[in-house]
Amino acid sequence: MKKLIIPLTALFYVLAFPLVQAQSTSDAKPFAEQKVVLQISDPNPFKQTLVLNVANNLIKHYGQDQIDIEIVAFGPGLRLLFKDNSNVPRIDGLSGAGVRFSACKNTIAGMSKKLGHAPELNEKAIPVSAGVVRIMQLEDQGFKLIKP
Amino acid sequence: MTIKKTALSLSIAASLLASPLHAANWLMLQGTEPDSAAPRIKMWGFIQTQYQKDMSDASDADLYVPPKLIGPNLNSQSQFNINRARLGARGTGFPLDGKVNYFLLAEFGNNGITAPGGGAAQITDASITLNQIKGMRIRAGLFKTPGSEELLQAIHVFDYINFTAVGNQLLLERLPNREYTGNNGPVALPDPTQLSAFDRPVAAARDVGIQLFDTFKSGDWEHSYAIMFGNGNGMNFGDNDDNRDTYLYWSSEQVYGGKGPRRDGLKLFAWSQTGKRQLDNTNDNTHNPQEFDRKRSGVGAKYLKKGVRVSAEFIRGDGMIFVGPDKATFDINPAVPPGNGENGKADGYYLDAGYRIPGSKWEIDARYDVLNRLTDDATLPGGPNAGKGFEMQFKTLTLGAQYHINKKSRLNIEYANRDYTAVDWDSNAGPNANLDGVAGRFAIQLTHIF
Repeated sequence: MKKLIIPLTALFYVLAFPLVQAQSTSDAKPFAEQKVVLQISDPNPFKQTLVLNVANNLIKHYGQDQIDIEIVAFGPGLRLLFKDNSNVPRIDGLSGAGVRFSACKNTIAGMSKKLGHAPELNEKAIPVSAGVVRIMQLEDQGFKLIKP
Repeated sequence: MTIKKTALSLSIAASLLASPLHAANWLMLQGTEPDSAAPRIKMWGFIQTQYQKDMSDASDADLYVPPKLIGPNLNSQSQFNINRARLGARGTGFPLDGKVNYFLLAEFGNNGITAPGGGAAQITDASITLNQIKGMRIRAGLFKTPGSEELLQAIHVFDYINFTAVGNQLLLERLPNREYTGNNGPVALPDPTQLSAFDRPVAAARDVGIQLFDTFKSGDWEHSYAIMFGNGNGMNFGDNDDNRDTYLYWSSEQVYGGKGPRRDGLKLFAWSQTGKRQLDNTNDNTHNPQEFDRKRSGVGAKYLKKGVRVSAEFIRGDGMIFVGPDKATFDINPAVPPGNGENGKADGYYLDAGYRIPGSKWEIDARYDVLNRLTDDATLPGGPNAGKGFEMQFKTLTLGAQYHINKKSRLNIEYANRDYTAVDWDSNAGPNANLDGVAGRFAIQLTHIF
């Protein structure tokens, strides 16, 4: 039974958010002049601070309505979107400014195996099928990839 | 548009301000890691190298006592020294579950931790913290005990080079030797032996045990508690008796902002430590220790805002007071009543102020501290000195400056003007024959944190 829990948990994430995954970004910021996808996949916690700083600075530079930002977290970088992450207040602030946060389901499934349960994620995190695929999709939509 | 931008700026600024800022909260800073943002291993450490010169005069007999010499070796009035060289690691071994974290630190410098007993290195911290229970984190192992702000704070951001007399003598515990150790009298220079006769490391405000603690936020206030039970045997990994020390700590801090060890805020704190120590104070060539109570307590406040710092702490001690600095034991003469430190009382305080000069890398500091040692001491029953005891008063005014080379490097310079007196004795009589000559002490120290 225990062996079934982890795959079932992972399956839950896959099935629970198909619409979110398919969500288009075109309506998010219709007047955005710039589109940026920020990648966080590094185990170094300093990179968490850095990627949030970059998002913050981009918004300050272009203005909230003039730039569309999505932060895609996968691999060890997914810790940024853990529910108890010490950067939660900053994530809340950026989310309020229109920044989207995507969480890789492949990583969630892998971490679930190691933890024995699914990691609790920030409510602002939107699961996507694969972080890398999400980045490729965004690039196809004209987003520029930045890896701080 | 402007309103939107303003609202956005406020929103982001609010999110930044709301970030956890545990830096000046020493319980959290030293015992925990940021949630889901800690590395598997973070190597870190610091080096402090210094020069000190003591301007004290020898006694009329051309002899010296410890406060006239530079520690920890006490055989010179001036020296260069690498007083601290610490290397450690901290983090969380399994980053996916950051609820468990560790802290490891070793001392390789030449100080009271390593010098007694001739050691070259000493593990000063080795602890594991469990953060699973909200409101009751658990830290177990060897680590700093909750207590006085002067000692609980991280030493590499300490604003002075030398401790206050009350911190040094009442709180930096000298653990009794296993066997009775007689007084070391004043010495002539060059002294072939080490004047301090303690054979184990200074406890350095550390103990092996378990601590329950946490911090609670309420508006811009942060309330912290800690309850710890320890061996009461300093940095020795094991115990030497069946007694346990109990440590209690509370602090409430209004956080003004900023981050790092010099976070702006007003902190009020109180603490107590109680335990028992075994001491062989009979000179009979037999190991027959007795148990004595050791109690310490204090209250204080620290204010820091925009480069202005004011702090004060009042400290009391009851029992196991070593009767240095001119002796290495806890009783000047166990055969007669006066000079009894194992049952003695003491109190003291410090007042401290600092000012970071705006637009510059300079900071100026001033501190005044007083220690009243053996305040209830008995008196000599007869003889020419009848009615005299060994209460001593240590007053020190320290003026200092810090040059902040960068965030991780700084230069400290300080001059301590010291006035030490045995209050019952005339000038140049009794203990004052040695204390009268205690004068200024100059120190300069370079710190680099990595």
